[in-house]
Amino acid sequence: MAGACAQRAAVWDRRWRSSATGGVVRCMTRLSASVGLLVGLVGGGSGCVHVYQPMSGLHDPVVIDPQQPNFQDVRLTVYCAPGDHLNPEETRMLCRRVGTLFENQGAVVLTYTRNRLQVEQAREEEEAALAASESESEAGVDATGVSRGTDEAPTDLVLELRSRQTHAASDPVSWVLCAGSFTLVPGVTESSFATDVVIRDGTGFLLARDTLEGRLVRYFGVGSWATNRIVDLLWREDEDELTGDAVNQDLSADLYSQLSQLLFNAKMQWQVRQEGLRAAGGSGAAESASDAAATGAATP
Amino acid sequence: MIFWLSLLILPYKGAQDPAPGLLRSKRASRRLECARVSPETGSQSYPGQIEMARPRGDYVERSVMICRERLLRPDLRAPQDEAILSDLDAHAVAMASAAEALRPDLGERTWLVETHYPSAQVSAKVAFATKNALVRQGLKVSDRTPVLAVGDVEVITRMDPESAYPVACRRYAETGALGPDQALLAVVSLDPRETILHAGLCDRGTWSWLH
Repeated sequence: MAGACAQRAAVWDRRWRSSATGGVVRCMTRLSASVGLLVGLVGGGSGCVHVYQPMSGLHDPVVIDPQQPNFQDVRLTVYCAPGDHLNPEETRMLCRRVGTLFENQGAVVLTYTRNRLQVEQAREEEEAALAASESESEAGVDATGVSRGTDEAPTDLVLELRSRQTHAASDPVSWVLCAGSFTLVPGVTESSFATDVVIRDGTGFLLARDTLEGRLVRYFGVGSWATNRIVDLLWREDEDELTGDAVNQDLSADLYSQLSQLLFNAKMQWQVRQEGLRAAGGSGAAESASDAAATGAATP
Repeated sequence: MIFWLSLLILPYKGAQDPAPGLLRSKRASRRLECARVSPETGSQSYPGQIEMARPRGDYVERSVMICRERLLRPDLRAPQDEAILSDLDAHAVAMASAAEALRPDLGERTWLVETHYPSAQVSAKVAFATKNALVRQGLKVSDRTPVLAVGDVEVITRMDPESAYPVACRRYAETGALGPDQALLAVVSLDPRETILHAGLCDRGTWSWLH
């Protein structure tokens, strides 16, 4: 699109030069060319370089390998609450991807695109209605986008995700320079976001909580796009490239790694807590094992 | 004119931005830990360096992004060590607080600290930080580490963690390695894939998980 617009501007330039001369005409020609280029860039969506910068939490060290079965047989419920940063459709997509991420690691996942309290309230109302009518519930998807599993097994872990926009700005000076330089200088727009992650066990006990913060910067203009594209092709290594789909890949890699690590830590906390609760019930097994150890210590 | 002016200004604007770009690689950007704060909060940390809004306002919306470089470059330490050590104080305080809050009846005991972590260097740092945190909670702390006989260790190391820690605790009490006026806080990494630490308590031969 940008290329087509630039070609059209060049054609106009030749036509005007053939029919008229003078500074005013040349000025008008250049202006129309730049406007054409600008419209082309906006319309085509090209000429933009999106850059992702992890601010806090998103680039913490990760040990876990999300390709491995880290959550074998863990029953997980994921709640993704829509907010000012993600609309319902984006929230649904996020929830679906997070669900797939943990299913690939062996978990049995149930996803909801509303917050936990809303879902629990809806469930209570539904149960009350069912108790009143004494009819059995059917598995499936209800009208509000809440998917329900076929079994009534209690969940082991609950993951709540809420994404919010913490800052958004557009640099007016950069846009003036962008227009004045025929988009050779980029117009800069940026936004920061925070994803709140809360992980509980099935009883509601808080196991882990973290906030992952990042920033997205958009550079608009042919100068920025072309320069970065050339540098990507000639200079930067694959993992350092900025143009193309790099922003989505980097953000997804960071977000999914951190979510996997947080959930694994929470799973370990949950197991320790379960063990503690079991041990509080009785310590007979420990006593017999201790006797075995004592025998071992006596053996030379 | 504007074009030439912008070419002059651009390098200075780009150099300040912590995001990856022409003047900063992704790797360099990932070395930074950033937080966006209000100018008032920012100027408390960096007095005189942040331009504040005029008392009557100036129609400019300001916010400050403060970035600090991480102490060690990425990949210098193993990821698990890096995760534990970069947040060591918080881990140690959490474990000491759990010990004090969940077992206030052990306030008069002398606390011993034992660490189970794959790396000896990191173990030593974790143990030292945990002892410091216990001292800050007002508890008595000893540098002594309880020791088991070789036979005990041989048997216990063959057990799964679920039963090994209770058995070791019982043996500590039976062999007198841990006296009745002492309590042991064990700091444990249960799985090489986790980036957190767990705390267990051994008190008079009884083992319990705290954290």
